[in-house]
Amino acid sequence: MKFLEQPPRFLFFTGKGGVGKTSIACATAIQLAYGGKNVLLVSTDPASNVGQVFGVEIGNRITVLPAVPRLSALEIDPQAAAQAYRDRIVGPVRGILPEAVVKGIEEQLSGGCTTEIAAFDEFTGLLVESSLTASFDHIVFDTAPTGHTIRMLQLPGAWTGFLEEGKGDASCLGPLAGLEKQRAQYKAAVEALADENRTRLILVARAQQSTLREVARTQMELAAVGLGRQYLVVNGLLPRAEAALDPLAAAICQREQAALAAIPRELADLPRDVIALLPFNLVGIPALRQLLAGTTSPVAADDGEPITLDAPGLSTLVDGIAADCHGLVMLMGKGGVGKTTLAAAIAVELARRGFPVHLTTSDPAAHLAETLHGSLEHLTVSRIDPHAEIERYRREVMETKGAALDAEGRALLEEDLRSPCTEEIAVFQAFARVIREAGQKFVVMDTAPTGHTLLLLDATGAYHREVVRHVGAKGGHTITPMMQLQDPRQTKVLLVTLAETTPVLEAASLQDDLRRAEIEPWAWIVNNSVAAAQPQSPLLRQRARNELREVEAVATRYASRYAVAPLLKEEPVGVVRLQELLGVAVEAA
Amino acid sequence: MKTIQVFDPALCCSTGVCGVDVDQVLVAFSADVDWAKQNGARIERFNLAQQPMAFAENAIVKGFLERSGAEALPLILIDGEVALAGRYPNRAELARWTGVAETPVEVKQGGCCGGKSC
Repeated sequence: MKFLEQPPRFLFFTGKGGVGKTSIACATAIQLAYGGKNVLLVSTDPASNVGQVFGVEIGNRITVLPAVPRLSALEIDPQAAAQAYRDRIVGPVRGILPEAVVKGIEEQLSGGCTTEIAAFDEFTGLLVESSLTASFDHIVFDTAPTGHTIRMLQLPGAWTGFLEEGKGDASCLGPLAGLEKQRAQYKAAVEALADENRTRLILVARAQQSTLREVARTQMELAAVGLGRQYLVVNGLLPRAEAALDPLAAAICQREQAALAAIPRELADLPRDVIALLPFNLVGIPALRQLLAGTTSPVAADDGEPITLDAPGLSTLVDGIAADCHGLVMLMGKGGVGKTTLAAAIAVELARRGFPVHLTTSDPAAHLAETLHGSLEHLTVSRIDPHAEIERYRREVMETKGAALDAEGRALLEEDLRSPCTEEIAVFQAFARVIREAGQKFVVMDTAPTGHTLLLLDATGAYHREVVRHVGAKGGHTITPMMQLQDPRQTKVLLVTLAETTPVLEAASLQDDLRRAEIEPWAWIVNNSVAAAQPQSPLLRQRARNELREVEAVATRYASRYAVAPLLKEEPVGVVRLQELLGVAVEAA
Repeated sequence: MKTIQVFDPALCCSTGVCGVDVDQVLVAFSADVDWAKQNGARIERFNLAQQPMAFAENAIVKGFLERSGAEALPLILIDGEVALAGRYPNRAELARWTGVAETPVEVKQGGCCGGKSC
């Protein structure tokens, strides 16, 4: 493995949920420890099974792992860190200030930025020299801060204004206020991150086009803030040997090879390692040691018993949506779970049933929208380019609101405009233009704002409260945008996930977030299910069996209704293949 | 010299870019505060989301929140007495309150009407 050659003191793994960065981080820590080094493994995975892997309770303190010599671990729960931070700010005024005021403050401090910065606050102590970490040769992190966080910490104007006055000033440092660490410590931490002799960043991806595109963006963002020392690990590649055994496996192999052949330029030049898909769950030290060994033994054929997945398909969900004859359908989930494809499949099926449908997509590749446009009666397709929307929004704000500011003020405003909330709002504003059509027809969108954003969107939130206060108990007829989103007959939010542990937990946390805004997700969709595709290859069959537990969790613990969509042999582009996704029998044309 | 205290609503960023629209008033007010301070005025700002204790410890501010709610902010006190509520003061008002002589406009205004969005 190239990323393990001459490792520096700090190793950071980054990548979206479900790509296996925690497993690779664990395996790396084990390998370094067996190589004679003293190693600390730091996990922030919400599904952290690090304790389970090593058979020891870990938690938020450095714990020696008896199972592996020279290895210690520490688990940081970013949600708990953010909660502790909120409590520090809000705790003293609870019961003193009015309840509604306290709730408002808490919502302000509930965004992704706060969580990320609270987690970074916990990191900083590990990145600077201290007696706590002096005995370790390597510290391995299963996550990395985003470019936005690092830039915020780098911004010298922000720090001087904020710290010298000791008061919050006009800056997006809100989430930083009240953190305990000293400015010098943050500065040292950011310097350690940018020092290539001390820090190595390992981007973890799967061999999928959309995932690789996303990783390329991360690469550029982090390189721009000085984290130039980057490696790429492509995880979970299906071994070519499997292709001979199964048409599905053959198709996946081909697709993965094509994605790697067309790898984005930013990633092509990085030192690259490939890790093969393993049939087993990575639990236990022998399994983790095998992960980086680079040798895979073929999986023995099993008994060939069919894998029974007794789950409803997408078409049952469409039945429920169609029953209301019009409305807004929003698909929500992390990047790469297939929201665009599923939105298209649902829109196509609704149109095929004779309903007027407007599909709005933010698909960056655009080919899906192009292939569907004009292909089906009742279906209109429009596309929103999120990058163009964000750029337009930023430019507009800088040219109007930022025009009067000096250089330092402009730098602050520019950084504020790079926050994830801003991106979400810029895209949502573009989508909002088509929302009102949902009174007469179906509007299907492949994205949705988070509950946090909705609560912060004053236009809906404040307006909504205002109306409720005036209309009072009489109940009136006024419908605000927020009420439209909260009414399941008008708006259906579909949470999309994959049948893997981390993606399911991430979807569950999106659901909690929506519930804060009093929006109840109407259904869950488990996408790209290997089990639903009935594979023959022993390796894929083993993966399929592992999925059943996750589908079960969605069905019983999280969702009020759900559906499972199969992994398809070919990218579902065009009307016919999209209908395969629904499990609808396709008639020959 | 009088002391001016500004009690801001809960803002993730004081520039308000996390809202639906960037609030020109906030951007302009930040510039005005900066100007007044450079001319020796004593102005303190408190953000509800960052320093709620400052709101809780001041009887006038606490009472204001109980009566009118956070929606009625900002609240501006001069030497502890209510001077203005529900909007930010402009530069002329700041100049009058603090006794700072208002200089010809140094800061180019962003919009055609210089205040809230046109």
